[in-house]
Amino acid sequence: MRISPNLVPMLVVALAVLALYWPLMYLVNIPVAQRALDTGAALPCQTAFECATQLRSPVLPSPQQLWNGFGNLMLPLNSPNAIPINAAVTAFETVVGLLLAGVVGFFFAIGMVASRAFERALLPWIVASQTVPIIAIAPMLVVLLGQYGVQGWFPKAIIAAYIAFFPITIGVAKGLKSPDPMALDLMKTYNASPWQTYLKLRFPASVPYLFTAFKVAMTAALIGAIVAEISTISFQGIGKMLAENSRASDVVAMWVIMLSSAVLGILLVALVNWLERLLTPWRRAAGGAAVPAKQARLSRQEGVG
Amino acid sequence: MTPVYRAVFGGYWLGWLLLGLGFGLLLWFIAAWWDQSEPASSAQKLLIGLGFLGVVWGLARVAQQFVDTPNPLIGFTPAALTLLALLVTAEALLRAYQVPPGLIPTPSRVLSTLLEVRDVLLRDAFQTVVLEALVGYLVGCSLGLLTALLISRYVFLERGLLPYAALFSSIPIVALAPVLVKMIGIDWPSKAVIVAITVFFPMVVNTFRGLTEISPLSLDLMRSYAANEAQQYRWLRLPNALPFIFNALKLGTTLAMIGAIVGEFFGANGQGLGFRIQIEAGRFGFDIVWSAIIVASVIGIAWYNLVGWLERRLTGWHVSYR
Repeated sequence: MRISPNLVPMLVVALAVLALYWPLMYLVNIPVAQRALDTGAALPCQTAFECATQLRSPVLPSPQQLWNGFGNLMLPLNSPNAIPINAAVTAFETVVGLLLAGVVGFFFAIGMVASRAFERALLPWIVASQTVPIIAIAPMLVVLLGQYGVQGWFPKAIIAAYIAFFPITIGVAKGLKSPDPMALDLMKTYNASPWQTYLKLRFPASVPYLFTAFKVAMTAALIGAIVAEISTISFQGIGKMLAENSRASDVVAMWVIMLSSAVLGILLVALVNWLERLLTPWRRAAGGAAVPAKQARLSRQEGVG
Repeated sequence: MTPVYRAVFGGYWLGWLLLGLGFGLLLWFIAAWWDQSEPASSAQKLLIGLGFLGVVWGLARVAQQFVDTPNPLIGFTPAALTLLALLVTAEALLRAYQVPPGLIPTPSRVLSTLLEVRDVLLRDAFQTVVLEALVGYLVGCSLGLLTALLISRYVFLERGLLPYAALFSSIPIVALAPVLVKMIGIDWPSKAVIVAITVFFPMVVNTFRGLTEISPLSLDLMRSYAANEAQQYRWLRLPNALPFIFNALKLGTTLAMIGAIVGEFFGANGQGLGFRIQIEAGRFGFDIVWSAIIVASVIGIAWYNLVGWLERRLTGWHVSYR
């Protein structure tokens, strides 16, 4: 296996960040520790230097604290208050939201490609819905749905979908418009109905765009799900843990949750990447010997377009 | 049939007729139900449905007329009619079903609330938009620009930092918010930092693409002119990157507003649109929540369009505008 040329520089940067972390941690924590000592708080340490790594709410937690925090929040794996189950709930809401967003996005995209009038009437508001801080609607939407008996994970999935449908709409619309005019002409020569054109030409052509859009939308949906959990009464999920620990001022736990949700985001996007490679093998193997000529040509066109 | 009439309505008289009838029906119902306190009968609900159908059908016909207009204001007409249709239908439905205003306020109620509490909301907006979003936006974008310049200049930095920037784009930034608010404090600087971090990574990735995706021919030309590094950046790389930079700037306006508002969910000093939204949503004061959302949206849209206008002024030479 070929080693990526990025590996060494990335490691150097990571090491530099780690090496800078300790001095920085001491620099910002020692004044806090000194103040705590001056006020005579009962601390298990004597000097400010020692206390800097043991503060209850440090500005930057020490690696030892983070490690312990991970231990506390990860184990036992099946505890309802541990990260794994909550992360799974949030991931589930995100994925359901993404699928809902996919359905809505496809509907809008097909409408916009099929009818300029539809585009004229709705596109400005679809764009505006993005310049609007949509997240502001989350608390209200959840209370509203709760009034009509919709509770639990579903409102969060709806909010995730609401935030994620835009990149999908735009991406799919771009993809549906992407077949080159020659191919569209060919469909016309074959006397293909609009349905057939969509099924045999436009949909396949939009697949690569769909996956690119899904990657962006996945992050957006995760943000939506977390915000929805934060701003509502929820019993499970990363957002609920964030809100809880934010109220309890447990800084170390908040750091641990932040890092875990970062990992969750990266994993979810990696999932889309994996699906993309699984479902569009001709793109991965573009230029390979085993690729049928037609598919290789298709992927080249996509690469150019 | 006068020429004016024909110019306005063209072959679309049926569409305009349906649109007018639909709006008339809905408005008539709203007027009739203005002071009522009992739900409407099912016949009246059917009437609302008919009105809505008429508006949508009419709109679908009428919109064809505006498809090819070059004037952006006239081209906006169908979109404006769509918004109006949704608002009027929502008002009629809410009145017909007598939904309690504590749950979903009618659009007219929201508008009157907006006028009532505009002073408070404007103060909130100043805190959220100017102090938090704008400061964070400017800092984050400039830092992103500088980082992209450095990364594009030194291959080592590109290899070491760019993969991390790509990785960071899949991280849910909201999770940063509570940590940063705890770390920096509940006043506006913590939210500005959140905004700066949010807009930083798209800026780096986009600008870097603009600085490096350059046709080899142009680079060869620079070389044959014996242009040094600085000249290359001034005359080739930066102009080439401008459209990409503006893309990131436009994306950033949205992210900045969201970042500032979400940041306030985790602690604010008693002011700010996000703070107001959270407090009032908890008290079922949804007319104020909607008013705050309207204020935030209007500012968000204006900001986005301002950047778009700057883009057209500065990159008018670019292919996409010719």
